[in-house]
Amino acid sequence: MNHSDGTGQFGELAIEATGLGKTYDKEILAVNDLGLAIESGQIYALLGPNGAGKTTTISMLTTMIKPTEGTARVAGFDILREDDKVRASIGVTFQETVLDNDLTGRQALDFHGKLYGQSRSRRRERSEQLLGLVELGEAADRRISTYSGGMKRRLELARGLMTEPEILFLDEPTLGLDPQNRTSIWDYIRDLKQRTGLTLLLTTHYMDEAKKLADMVGIIDNGNIVAEGTPRQLIDQMGSDVISINGHGDRGQLLEKLQELPFVEAASSNNNIIQVGVDAGNRRLVDVISAAADIDFTIEDISVAKPSLNDVFLKHTGRQLRDM
Amino acid sequence: MSATFTIWGKLTRKMIVHPEEIFGFMIQPVLWMVLFGVGMKSLIGSAVPGDGDYYISFILPGIVALTALGGAVGGGAAWQGERILGIVKEYIVAPIPRMSILLGNAASTVSKSLLQALIIFIVGVLMGATFSGTPLGWLEGLLLVAGYSLGFAGISLAVASRTDDPGAYHMMIMMLNLPLLFLSNALYPLESLPAWMKIGALANPTTYVVDGLRQTVLESGSIEAGSELMPLWLSFLVIAGFAALGMGLAYAAFKKSIR
Repeated sequence: MNHSDGTGQFGELAIEATGLGKTYDKEILAVNDLGLAIESGQIYALLGPNGAGKTTTISMLTTMIKPTEGTARVAGFDILREDDKVRASIGVTFQETVLDNDLTGRQALDFHGKLYGQSRSRRRERSEQLLGLVELGEAADRRISTYSGGMKRRLELARGLMTEPEILFLDEPTLGLDPQNRTSIWDYIRDLKQRTGLTLLLTTHYMDEAKKLADMVGIIDNGNIVAEGTPRQLIDQMGSDVISINGHGDRGQLLEKLQELPFVEAASSNNNIIQVGVDAGNRRLVDVISAAADIDFTIEDISVAKPSLNDVFLKHTGRQLRDM
Repeated sequence: MSATFTIWGKLTRKMIVHPEEIFGFMIQPVLWMVLFGVGMKSLIGSAVPGDGDYYISFILPGIVALTALGGAVGGGAAWQGERILGIVKEYIVAPIPRMSILLGNAASTVSKSLLQALIIFIVGVLMGATFSGTPLGWLEGLLLVAGYSLGFAGISLAVASRTDDPGAYHMMIMMLNLPLLFLSNALYPLESLPAWMKIGALANPTTYVVDGLRQTVLESGSIEAGSELMPLWLSFLVIAGFAALGMGLAYAAFKKSIR
């Protein structure tokens, strides 16, 4: 919280939050003591289920709402004391589609640029360029009410980029889109990052989105970051393979017994499911089953799989994140 | 200031997309003038021969006030719609003052009210109202209309910021709207009212915009027979205060809605 002057060089922190908290109506705790350190030029995904505090976090970082605890620096500016400078440095797309159906795509971008004080020539040039980027050139002069869901999302992405922000916030950028449109949004985002060095903070509850797009993933649950790392790091923590066991018996005892086995890299129990990270699943399955048999644990279901972010998520939150 | 203008421009552009809306807001004041005005004119005319034209002049400012109220109700509804759809978020994350967001919407209401006022004046002339015709008087009159419209636009925005339910909004606005029109000197002279209504009318900004319009736009000679006029500066003072109060309420309600 002492360096950074808003120049956004690589390696510098684009977003830095400490002890960020938001309590609604003095009792509903939406975000609790959240810390973030996101480097410039990174794509950071906040991964979590609905109600985990993702949107509240984004709303605070984008100065839409004020935190009740702590503060953050975004693009080098304090979100409380320098909210106007933060606003001028960021682009935002919201979870729900927020577009004026009566305007055309081009008018929507032009209006946005005007709000940010861009000159007419700059607005014209920029909107032309961005409409091309998101492949809306032909639909640019049609009213937004005629656009499909995917086109609207792409237009919003273009709008978020209109004012050449240092940091782009995307709240659930592919929510409700079909697989084809999701893939094309991902392509634009990756392309953008490569060409412009933009910092992106996105929230998602799609595993594959976090895995395919993000340099860093923060798993958020109950308003707090419970695990953070590159997708690879997070998955590797789980072991080479994950054996998942569901059944009846003394789970605690089984867990203890499994942890003693030399080939077990990690073992945890959450919501009736025991996850065991092992070096090679197929070879160790028999040992795991016999360990269960030794203590009279009845296995109902057992499976071996390469670990996924879903396993990581289950381990840290005790819940499944259902894809799609 | 430029953000206010930008938002005003967008709202105006959105309206142009819907010709039926323009048609409605141009035709509504004409209907009021023709239907209500002619009806009352013949009623008064049959009671006091020759006084019908006078009554047209008399109620004309009231109809201006009424249409300004209607315009403000529409502005609040548009604001509530943008809030429900989330469009307001685009404004909130932009580096612009919060007040300019509200003023952009209010400016759209005010500009509509001014246009409607002009339509009413023209229809009034055609129907036999007598105007003073000094350009300064008209300017002063339009200024009063703008202030009154701004004040009520603010109140509508405040109410629309507090509820997400269109039904609740319209209910509350109607409750404010009726006394603002009827508890004033818009339709009947202040002197003819019972004391309790007179007190209510004197506490109502509508009374001051109506009284001010009678002095600035209409030929005052044609009015004096029926009512005693208040000083013009008082009208300006009250209307300026009302405009500031309305926008202040809107600002407070808006701030509260985005905490």
